[in-house]
Amino acid sequence: MPNDTDITLTHVTKSYPLGKSRIPIFQDLTMTIPEGDFLAIMGPSGSGKSTILNLIGGIDTVDEGQVAVGHTVLTGMSDAALTQWRAAHIGFVFQFYNLMPMLSAAENVELPLLLTPLSARARQERVRTILDIVGLSERAGHLPSELSGGQQQRVGIARAVAADPKILLCDEPTGDLDRTSADEILDLLQLLNRKLGKTIVMVTHDDSSCRVAKRTLHLDKGKFIQREEELMVCR
Amino acid sequence: MQVSSIMLVRQNLTRKRARSLLLVLSIGIAFFVYGVLSSFQAGFEGSEAKAERLVVVSKIGGNETLPISALDQIAQLPEVAAVTHITRLRAHLIGNERQIIGANAVDPDSYAAVYGDTYKLDPALLAALAADRTGTLVGRTLAEQQGWQVGDRVTLTSFVHANSDGRNWSFTIAGIFDGREPTVDTNFLIVRSDYFNTALQRGRNRVNMFGIKPVPGADPAVLAETIDTAFANSAAQTKTQNETAFLSAFLEQFANVSLIVRMIVSVAFVTILLIVGNTMIFAVRERMQEIGVLKVLGFSGARIMRIVLAETIVLFAVGLALGLLLTSAVIPLLGQALRSVVPELYLTTKSISLAGLLALGFALLTGFLPALNALRLPIVAALRHR
Repeated sequence: MPNDTDITLTHVTKSYPLGKSRIPIFQDLTMTIPEGDFLAIMGPSGSGKSTILNLIGGIDTVDEGQVAVGHTVLTGMSDAALTQWRAAHIGFVFQFYNLMPMLSAAENVELPLLLTPLSARARQERVRTILDIVGLSERAGHLPSELSGGQQQRVGIARAVAADPKILLCDEPTGDLDRTSADEILDLLQLLNRKLGKTIVMVTHDDSSCRVAKRTLHLDKGKFIQREEELMVCR
Repeated sequence: MQVSSIMLVRQNLTRKRARSLLLVLSIGIAFFVYGVLSSFQAGFEGSEAKAERLVVVSKIGGNETLPISALDQIAQLPEVAAVTHITRLRAHLIGNERQIIGANAVDPDSYAAVYGDTYKLDPALLAALAADRTGTLVGRTLAEQQGWQVGDRVTLTSFVHANSDGRNWSFTIAGIFDGREPTVDTNFLIVRSDYFNTALQRGRNRVNMFGIKPVPGADPAVLAETIDTAFANSAAQTKTQNETAFLSAFLEQFANVSLIVRMIVSVAFVTILLIVGNTMIFAVRERMQEIGVLKVLGFSGARIMRIVLAETIVLFAVGLALGLLLTSAVIPLLGQALRSVVPELYLTTKSISLAGLLALGFALLTGFLPALNALRLPIVAALRHR
C-alpha cells in the first residue's frame, strides 16, 4: 500500500504538439518518489524535467499512463477537482518566484490560505510564523520589487508551504540566484524536508543541489540515466 | 466577494493607475453625456407626465382648438373620473418677447381634480383664486425665477389672444403652488378661464385641450379610443393620448429629442464598450502568467473569471458615480443657461436606475471575453508566458 504522498508515475508517455507533428518527451516512463523524499532531477534543457513536475502537480496531463499521489489517481481528474486537490496537497516554487507584484510579501504568502477555511486572524498568524521561518519577518510589508532575488524566492517558498502541503515541487528554485542566495534557499528546502517532512521534487541545473537532496536523478531524452561520478561528488 | 478577491481586484486595478484612471474617466464621460442628455429629455418631457392621465386635442393639430361643449360629453363617460379644459395664453412678459411665460386658462376646481396629484392646489389656494377673477396661481419655479410674490400684479402679452385692451393681460398673484414632487415642472401659471373667456375678443368657448383623469382600473387606451370614436363624425374630431405620449408627440414637432438622445448616448456607449473591452483583453493578456500562478495555487477558473468581471464592475461603478456626480454638478448651471428652452433639468430616479443597469450590463459585457480567456487559459501555457 502506498503512503499518502508517495508519488507514482506508471508507464507515462507525454509529447507536445509542434505544428502538425508531436515532439515526444517521455516514452513509457515509470518512477516512484516515496513520501519524505528530497529528489533532485537534473538534465539538459528540453529533457522533460519540468514536465515531470507539471504532471505530478496536475497542471499538465499525460498522453498515456498514469500519475498518482498516494491513493489519488490524477489521470482523468477534472480541472476543478485537480485545482482543489492541488490547493490542498501541492506547493510550487518557481525559478522566477512569480510573486504578485502589487501584493506585499505577507499578502503573497496569504494567497493560498485564502482558499482554506482559516479565519483572517488565523491566516495572519500563519503568515507571521512562516515568514519568521524563512527569515523575512522584517520584510512582511514590502513589495516584491523591494526585495532581493533571494528574499523573493524565500517569499515564494513561504507561499508554497503556507497551506501546509505535503509535497513541494520546485522548478529551478536557485536558477536566478547568486551562489550565496542559492545556498540559503537550498538550506531552507533541506530544513523543510528534514524537519517538517515535506516531500520535495526539485528540478535544477545547479550541481550543488545534490548536496541537500536525498537522491539525484539525471534525465536525458526522456530517460533517467545514472551518473555515478556526480553522485560520488555529492556523497 | 471575499477578502481575497477584493485584494486581487485592487491589485489589478492599481498596478497601472494611469490606465485605470483613464478608463474610469472615459466611462465617467460617457455616463456624464448620458446624464446630461437624460436630464435634458426629462426636463423637456416633464416627470409630471402620467401614462394613466389622458389629453384630448384636436385631431387636426396642436394649434387647433376644440369647443368647450365637448367637456360635458366627455364627462358623461363612465370611465372618466374628472375632466378639465385648458387654453394656452401663448404669452410673454410685457415688453420682452423673448421671455415666454407658460400660462394656462383653466377652471380651477376641475383642474385641481385632474392634476391635484401632480400639483399642490390646496383649498386655500383655490379659494384665493376664486376670490379674484383676475387672479393667478403661479408655480414656485416661475415665481422664484421672476421674483414674484403674492399680491404682485403681472402683465403678460399674448401672441394670439386679444381683449378689449389689446393683447395685454394683467393678473394679480393670488398664490404660489408647488409640485407634489421636487422634479415636477412648476414653471408656469394658471388663470381663471371664466375671466379669460369672457374678456376674449375672438375665439370664446374654445379650448386647446381637455385633461382627463380616468376612474381607477379603467384602461386609458380603451377610454382614449372611446372618446375619439365619439367625436369621429363631429366638426371637432379629437385625438386622445396618454400624457406621456402626448408630450413626446408635442416635442417631436420641434425635434425627436428622444431619438437624438438615444443616438448620442449610443455612440458614447458603443465607443466606451470598445475601449474598455479592448483594454481589458490586453490587461488580462499582460498578466497571463499571474493567472497561471493563481491556478497553480488552487484558484479555480471560475474564481479567476469572477475576479476579472469584478474589475470591470468596479471600473464601471466608479465611472458611473463620477459621471452622475458630474451631471449633478453641471445640470443646475446648464439649466440656468437653457431656461428659455427647457423648464428645468433634472436626473430622474428612472434615469439613474437605468444608468446603473447599463453600467452593470456593460461591465459584464466588456469583462466577459477577457474573463473567459482567463478561465480557459491552460496553466502550462500561462506559466510560459512572459
